[in-house]
Amino acid sequence: MDNAALKARFFKKYHGEEIQNCIQCGSCSGSCPLAPTMDYGPRQLFELAREGDMEEVLKANTMWLCVSCYNCMVKCPRDIVITDHMYSLKKMALKEGIQAPNAKLPDLYKSFMVPVERYGKITDISVMNRYALRRPLDVMGNAFLALKLAKRKRLDYKVHPVKNLAGFKKVMKKARELETTS
Amino acid sequence: MKYGFFPGCTYKGSAGYKESTEAVSQILGTELVEIEGWNCCGATSYWSLEDLPALVLPARVMALAEKQNFKEVVNVCNACYSTLRKAQDKLAKDERLMEQVNEALAEEALSYTGSIKIRHYMEVLVNDLDPHEIKKHVKVDLKELTVAPYYGCQLNRPWGDIDDLQHPVMMDRLIETLGAGVATNYSAKTICCGASHMMPYEKSCLPQVRRIVNDALAKEARAISTVCPLCQFNVDAAQSGLDLPDMPVLYFTQLLGLAFGLGEKDLQLKKLLVPFKIAI
Repeated sequence: MDNAALKARFFKKYHGEEIQNCIQCGSCSGSCPLAPTMDYGPRQLFELAREGDMEEVLKANTMWLCVSCYNCMVKCPRDIVITDHMYSLKKMALKEGIQAPNAKLPDLYKSFMVPVERYGKITDISVMNRYALRRPLDVMGNAFLALKLAKRKRLDYKVHPVKNLAGFKKVMKKARELETTS
Repeated sequence: MKYGFFPGCTYKGSAGYKESTEAVSQILGTELVEIEGWNCCGATSYWSLEDLPALVLPARVMALAEKQNFKEVVNVCNACYSTLRKAQDKLAKDERLMEQVNEALAEEALSYTGSIKIRHYMEVLVNDLDPHEIKKHVKVDLKELTVAPYYGCQLNRPWGDIDDLQHPVMMDRLIETLGAGVATNYSAKTICCGASHMMPYEKSCLPQVRRIVNDALAKEARAISTVCPLCQFNVDAAQSGLDLPDMPVLYFTQLLGLAFGLGEKDLQLKKLLVPFKIAI
């Protein structure tokens, strides 16, 4: 997809159009706990999107560093739903196969989704084990912590699946079907 | 009072949250009836990668609650609480999404109307109970214990309708009711704990926890009180990388249990990483 098509998709399908109201005050970037680690703060990212440089937007690590704390959203004087736009940009980036080289969150989110799709629930361990396969270095540093947690019986090894697992899976399958047809 | 209860995935494995919540709710008569057949809310992972499935997960939980005739769903996790509310908001505003969600839920003969009120257990205790009733159960004098009330992000934000966005006071009032000290002007009370970014980006998130702990120390607190399993975990576990004096991080239900004179079987304080010791 080219820049213009991506911008149209962000503005229409994902209701990103309201960023036209942004006055570039920077309250969002100023209140963001992880802005110092971002390629662009939310303010700059929205400016790039407005200017139509969507490829640069989707390449940025910004949305992947968003922790969903909603600080920016409640500070925004134009009531822009910034956190929701970050979610939209993440989905768009993945769909386009664009991933910031240092964005690790797609791996974590995917590791989270595997047990949910399989059992309807997660445990910390069920997510961590899968993330460890994708990013072993991140997890190795936590081996000592895992031992401490195990000693305190704070690790839940077995995922107890949802009661009507077959029904749950049918619902999720249908949701995906509806999404592809819409 | 009877409530539909959504425990969420991490409740059972966390440091005494389940045990203390069960014991405390029994004493206070808030009947938390687990929603039968509940599933994971999806949390930020699904919001980040999925469109319709991200709505169907929380909608299924609420549809089950409706089917089981609950009027309210009580959460004990900020992420579950905000995910359910977020889905409710989005579906109330979009008929087409509502139709699609119900079409998916129909596979299991479920339907979602949006009639359920989403609550957090801490807020239930403050808003539904008479503080004098809570006080009646207090058996242990905690006035020497000053507590920093830490609310985290996703309880008051983005709505700000149950309490102030940046400076909530509900838990402050609850701690006062118990007779414990409240750290005044605890400015870090709604700072983000780092959430799921703590593991992949520990270096960037540690300053957050440093501020949460440092501010509690500066306000002479001897413990932090939390309302969310992820907040508890992050602030408890990350302290090993901070080189600051120990600041134990308790669930608000453990604090209630302490005041009510409950024992280790119900409190499970030994599960905390930063040890909590109190001479009472």
